[in-house]
Amino acid sequence: MARYGMVLDYKNCINCKACEVACKEENGILMGADKHRIWVGTGEIEGQYPLLDLTSNVFQPSQCQHCDDAPCEDVCPTQATFTDENGVVRVDVEKCILCTYCMNACPYDARYIEERTMTVDKCTFCTDTRLARGETTTACQNTCPTKVRIFGDLDDPNSEISEVLRVREHFSLKSHLGTNPKLFYLT
Amino acid sequence: MKIGFINIPFKEGFTIKSLFSFEKTPTNLLVAVFTLALLASFVVGVAMFLTHGHHAYNVTREHPWGLLLAVYIFFVVSSTGLCIIGSLGDVFGFKDYMMISKRAIFGSIVTILAGFAVILFEIGHPVTMLIYNVLSPGLTSAIWWMGTLYGLYLTFMIIEFYFLLNNDMKKAKIFGLTGLLVGLAAHSNLGSVFGFLNARPISNGVYYPTYFILTAFITGVFLAFIVMGFRYKLNFPAKAKVMLEGLAKIQGLLISILIFFVTWKMLTDIYGGMPNRSEVAVHILGSWTFQAEVLLAMVLPLLVVLTTMGRKPVLMFWASMIGMVGIFFMRYNLVHDTQLKPLQMLKIKEYQLAPEWIHYFPSPAEMLISAGGLGLCIAMYYVGTKMFNLDEEEGH
Repeated sequence: MARYGMVLDYKNCINCKACEVACKEENGILMGADKHRIWVGTGEIEGQYPLLDLTSNVFQPSQCQHCDDAPCEDVCPTQATFTDENGVVRVDVEKCILCTYCMNACPYDARYIEERTMTVDKCTFCTDTRLARGETTTACQNTCPTKVRIFGDLDDPNSEISEVLRVREHFSLKSHLGTNPKLFYLT
Repeated sequence: MKIGFINIPFKEGFTIKSLFSFEKTPTNLLVAVFTLALLASFVVGVAMFLTHGHHAYNVTREHPWGLLLAVYIFFVVSSTGLCIIGSLGDVFGFKDYMMISKRAIFGSIVTILAGFAVILFEIGHPVTMLIYNVLSPGLTSAIWWMGTLYGLYLTFMIIEFYFLLNNDMKKAKIFGLTGLLVGLAAHSNLGSVFGFLNARPISNGVYYPTYFILTAFITGVFLAFIVMGFRYKLNFPAKAKVMLEGLAKIQGLLISILIFFVTWKMLTDIYGGMPNRSEVAVHILGSWTFQAEVLLAMVLPLLVVLTTMGRKPVLMFWASMIGMVGIFFMRYNLVHDTQLKPLQMLKIKEYQLAPEWIHYFPSPAEMLISAGGLGLCIAMYYVGTKMFNLDEEEGH
């Protein structure tokens, strides 16, 4: 039993999109599928030349926040969305009726329709693939050249993720909604 | 006809053949052709869906709910409204409204069936829904409660209608009251499907669960004028005039309350410029569909009530026809407007291109299936008028 989460040192992101490619390759996501399991938000440079605000031109990688209190799970009429024993929010394909209520309720726009099964899909922290093979990293984390992501057990005080969260300031997205996300952005 | 202990009193002379015989007036022929065209559109729409699946629809990841959901809501709101109207006589004992009870309850059955027929093609896996709705119910889901309660509601409505047909008013009252309460619960749960969306400030809150009940009542009154108008070919007998005058006055009050509701909803949304709510409300105010909703479902019918004091049922019939067009826009707006704002923009720290609104326009398949829902509704109602005596029994 673990309580998996992820830390993103997002200021290190160079928008190479290797994470998106690795995710697609590892989890069999359709090529060309934009912003499916993970994506990189891009900030346009603000201001007018020569008074450009260079701090606005940053990248923010994101994905399902694996909320402890996931709205997508609450709204699912058939309990197709569930939190597994490791705190990962997942979808049971057999039970999904494609009412798309979860897509409407997710504050992070983290869900999409998987064209092959015609059910709603999302990031699984590579539960069915890498973690099932005994690996301890996700594909996006493993491939990142600037080491933006740290994946691990939030309940293990000796894990790298717990250590980083103890010593670095961080924030969560839309924490005011009470979703208790398990993705943390380092400042 | 008697099947075991069940006695279904069909109308005298009813045969399958009698379904095809009707008075060949220009109006009747027009309605018949119109209904057949709508039914044909349903077949074509469903064929497009079966061929292309959900790709036949213009719904997207950013706008997952489209016209079919709006039309489903349109029909189930109509059903709840007719149930309220039907209950006035046989449940609450208002004698003047007894004459419409059976017709309204039958109307509530056909409208919800039409709604189910439309949503059947919106839900991706309806068979899975039937199985896992029972095997693993999501008790925190407003959709689960709404769907389950509507299923129960339909059952109670059918039983109530059966007892009304058999003039067993005592049992009709018991099942009518139970059905009404379950229907109101189902309907407010439908409102909470939107009200529970914490991620979307424009819809989140108590407003929709209560507003749905109010607008159901208004829809029910509009439909009462329409079905009675067709029943009496706009040549209303004195008894019907008394009932319709009462309904028109009730409608005036209900629409006034609705205008009050909508005004305060808009003011609250805009006040203070709260991000993700204020600008959405301003955008809604500027949309022609919202203006159509206000004009057709609120302003025009209210003007007719106020200028005639409800004493002109023929005028109210036409105002109700226009009102139902307004109610359609009301449902469409509800679904579309709550998805206007891209969710990724709502992230506290998300870096995106300049915000823009989510665009949606229904696909031909969505339009054809939706139109077909209306065709099914009219066809089922017509069959009902041929099969059963929907008028009040003499002596009751």
